[in-house]
Amino acid sequence: MEEWKPNPTVKPHKKRSWYLAWKYKLMNQRALRKLCQTGAVLFLLVTVIVNIKLILDTRRAAYEEEEESAQDYDDEMLNVEVPRHPVNNKKVLDVEVYSSRSKVYVAVDGTTVLEDEAREQGRGIHVIVLNQATGHVMAKRVFDTYSPHEDEAMVLFLNMVARGRILIFTIKDEGSFHLKETAKNVLKSLGSQVAPFLSWRDMWTFVGKKGGEVYGEKHAKSPALSTWGDPVLLKTEVHLTSVEDAECHWPDTELNRRRRRFCSKVEGYGSVCSCKDPTPIEFNPDPLKDNKVFDVPVAVIAGNRPNYLYRMLRSLLSAQGVNPQMITVFIDGYYEEPMDVVELFGLSGIQHTPISIKNARVSQHYKASLTATFNLFPDAKFAVVLEEDLDISVDFFSFLSQSIHLLAEDESLYCISAWNDQGYEHTAEDPSLLYRVETMPGLGWVLRKSLYKDELEPKWPTPEKLWDWDMWMRMPEQRKGRECIIPDISRSYHFGIVGLNMNGYFHEAYFKKHKFNTVPNVQLKNVESLRKDNYETEIHRLLGEAEVLDHSKNPCEDSFVPDTEGRVYVMFIRMEQEADFTTWTQLAKCLHIWDLDVRGNHKGLWRLFRKKNHFLVVGVPASPYSSKKPSSVTPIFMEPPAKEEGAVAVPAVAAAEQT
Amino acid sequence: MQKINRNVVLALLSLTSLVFLLFQLCYYKFYLSQKNGAAFSKVRGSQSGQDSTRWHVVRKFLGLISSHNIPVYLIDPLILGLVDKDIEQIRSSPDGPSPECKYFCAPRDFTTFALLDKTWKHEVDLFRTAEKMGFQWLKIINKDPRLDGMDDLSGMEIPLHYIFKLASHAIHLVVFYERSGNFLWHGPLRLKQHMDRKFVPFRKLHFGRYPGAYEKTELLLVSIDALKVQIPKNPSSFLEEVSHSRFLECRYREARAFFQLYSDDASLDAVEFRKKAKSLLHLAALTLNNLGVNFWLSSGTCLGWYRQCNIIPHSKDVDLGIFIRDYKADIIPAFQKAGLPLKHKFGKVEDSLELSFQREDDVKLDIFFFYEEDDHIWNGGTQAKSGKKFKYLFPKFTLCWTEFVELKVHVPCETLQYVEANYGPEWKVPVKTWDWKSSPFNVQDNGVWPIDEWDNVIQIY
Repeated sequence: MEEWKPNPTVKPHKKRSWYLAWKYKLMNQRALRKLCQTGAVLFLLVTVIVNIKLILDTRRAAYEEEEESAQDYDDEMLNVEVPRHPVNNKKVLDVEVYSSRSKVYVAVDGTTVLEDEAREQGRGIHVIVLNQATGHVMAKRVFDTYSPHEDEAMVLFLNMVARGRILIFTIKDEGSFHLKETAKNVLKSLGSQVAPFLSWRDMWTFVGKKGGEVYGEKHAKSPALSTWGDPVLLKTEVHLTSVEDAECHWPDTELNRRRRRFCSKVEGYGSVCSCKDPTPIEFNPDPLKDNKVFDVPVAVIAGNRPNYLYRMLRSLLSAQGVNPQMITVFIDGYYEEPMDVVELFGLSGIQHTPISIKNARVSQHYKASLTATFNLFPDAKFAVVLEEDLDISVDFFSFLSQSIHLLAEDESLYCISAWNDQGYEHTAEDPSLLYRVETMPGLGWVLRKSLYKDELEPKWPTPEKLWDWDMWMRMPEQRKGRECIIPDISRSYHFGIVGLNMNGYFHEAYFKKHKFNTVPNVQLKNVESLRKDNYETEIHRLLGEAEVLDHSKNPCEDSFVPDTEGRVYVMFIRMEQEADFTTWTQLAKCLHIWDLDVRGNHKGLWRLFRKKNHFLVVGVPASPYSSKKPSSVTPIFMEPPAKEEGAVAVPAVAAAEQT
Repeated sequence: MQKINRNVVLALLSLTSLVFLLFQLCYYKFYLSQKNGAAFSKVRGSQSGQDSTRWHVVRKFLGLISSHNIPVYLIDPLILGLVDKDIEQIRSSPDGPSPECKYFCAPRDFTTFALLDKTWKHEVDLFRTAEKMGFQWLKIINKDPRLDGMDDLSGMEIPLHYIFKLASHAIHLVVFYERSGNFLWHGPLRLKQHMDRKFVPFRKLHFGRYPGAYEKTELLLVSIDALKVQIPKNPSSFLEEVSHSRFLECRYREARAFFQLYSDDASLDAVEFRKKAKSLLHLAALTLNNLGVNFWLSSGTCLGWYRQCNIIPHSKDVDLGIFIRDYKADIIPAFQKAGLPLKHKFGKVEDSLELSFQREDDVKLDIFFFYEEDDHIWNGGTQAKSGKKFKYLFPKFTLCWTEFVELKVHVPCETLQYVEANYGPEWKVPVKTWDWKSSPFNVQDNGVWPIDEWDNVIQIY
């Protein structure tokens, strides 16, 4: 303050005189003047303090306001992230494995990763694969090696597991009856001392590293045929390796990042995780010219069969004209592994909390999936519905692209399906041929949005009704006389062997021999003839040119159809009224085609191929095509066999359940 | 002289301090009284003049997204406002109107772009390139509302907003999704706990405080300030939408709880009624939208939306509300033309107007006209046989968009107050016997129509 010298020239004159007067007044009162000066200094100090305080206050207020308004943008849900598995900084895992007649369990570091004490279930060898770096469970399988061929599946699986993974084995109940030499050798090569000598009702546990050390093995021999070996409990320690050692060194690309994430979590998908030569996870099939279904959403309905899903998505993504962005996988339940598969392929997946049980659960899952599909793609007029246990033909989208306009324009159509119920190796021939049928085959089909939104969704069976969705859709109240378009040779293949309504026997009898198109770019023939009225013209033309077969012969015999090629034949069977399928069912049975209910008919007419000839079956007199029957021909009548034989179709697997 | 100077200095300083102190106190008071005022932020944001950083950041961003073939379009309300003024000029000269930087150089913290979800594939590469170019980015994801109405589906979370920041400027990229009801939706911007709250001043964003609903828009490629960008073809109507875009999601969780308590009526009659009511609502919405008349779901239809996200099967009609200021004489002929003949007309434009339309064997459509007063809003009712008038009082409300039976429609934003006014605190309990003259919580007697007016105010067809 002392240094400051006011510029005298600037000072206003008036002010100065006022000041001088004041000065003279106080001239002799030094003390008072001093007081004033101190007062002024104090006042200044106070001002400074108040100022500082004000600045701080406003600052804080501004900050608070910011905070407050930012709260509008805060997520109300607290994102509590629970680590899925305790993070291991530890280098050693404690592993406990238990094997007994009625119970098996595996615990890793105190966490039970497998526990099975259900009665009459889970028999055989349980296998668990752990990641050697993290200790995470990568795969869990059970192979019922009491039954035939399961040991082969186990060998396949074990061969797929990458070197270095930790393998845990334990037997529940019985695991040796159909454990063949090959399988035993594989187990021996993993380091098991006991495996080659495993016998009837022995208990066995084993922990080892694939291609490396053995961490422990325990075995209890069964003393007699009628009893089981004593329960065994193996406790051992497994040393973890570093993450780098457990992973492959693929180049760092977006695809490989997905692959790495997948391969560090799960096992049993073979060469997709191979370090040297991994199988591609992006397929880039040829685009379709003028693809009419590029914008049609594809809903993949899945459960917890990740290996199926993997196979299915591979074939789907390899089909020409596929648009991965339109694919959504709907997983029934909060299963991780199917979701891992979906993410591996870079698709979007949605999980669904299961509602109800059995068939109703599937049915509710279907409903939720379909509704969600149309919500996610509000512009879509159609949706393609697929299931996780289907292979998709290379020309699947080409087939749909050529036929979808019919579904848009022909009100009398219910769906387009890729599956021909009667299209077996010996009964389907022409990839360019389409049919109209009164039954809804499902297994890869196209649904019209208006049908779903206006008719099906509002009255979809509620969870307490334990109905199959497909059976429900086939009911006359829903179908209302409308028909589906199907190809002669199916564009999908049903490979699922395990499932709700499925088992090995059933699959072998009804699905294995199904024909599946593998020819790309098939040009469909005469699509316009599939329209309602055109189809009648077409059928009449066909029946007109068809040769009537010799009705005195046995239609089940191969000789019933002459050894020709490319001809059209017709036979007439007895069908008293619309719902009389007695003879048809017997015929279907002896022709080894679908006979569990009636499929593939159109107004009492069935179309299939026999010995490469088109083979028409007309039900007389119920079918309107009965008029084509020459008066000399008597329709064939076949009686159903006696009761006990009729029961053959019921799967006979239950018998082998318990040893 | 030295002493004099010191005195002068002290006195002057004291004086200025005093003035300054007073000023500060005033300012402080002013500031505190204006809680949500933008006064403070204005002070900070008021660098004046041109800002070429913004232009450079926008150019870089456009380069980034075009190299990845991502079709974004400009929705920044401030820029679109400027563009709209010069729209003719911009349209006519494809190389841009003026040499000086007019639009992208006004100094702002943000420039806002939009992206239609279905037009791009979520790519990690984009963000890697962005990082290489020096952008910092933030992605805001959340639940997919299109799956919210579904029984326990949990999909992957979807990206709702992206923010790319470079130097002092940020690009706000809003992701739009197509919804059933043929409209576009963008989500709210909500920060998760671990996110950087200071990444950008979020509260200044134009989009994201609430979710929003927009009509699908055609795009126009223009060149402004030497940058080629897509903009909505009609900026002024887009800007008009921005101000009324707030979207309310149906309360699906509460609706599910409701159906657990009172199971849904799945009888054939209910299915049939819902189907008819839905198609009637679609027809009414089409007709009124064509006329440009704003309407909202009222009474039972509104309750159905709010309580159960569906049409109440025993409600027997569809109810809409319209502000009387939006009344048009064309409404009746337009409905007649759409195949919905007038069933009755009660009241008059000045008082208690109510229209009902009904096709043969179909659900009735009731349109109530709402009259705004200083502190409340009301609509009227008339009993045909007695000429009695009724009045239904509602607290003031504004309109929000929602999605209902695959339709984008308005509902009162303050839905709870609206529903509670109408149905009382027990609105959660379904009531099957309903008398419009006595059951509503907010009904009041409103006298009787004078007999000589009856011919006019009570018309039944």
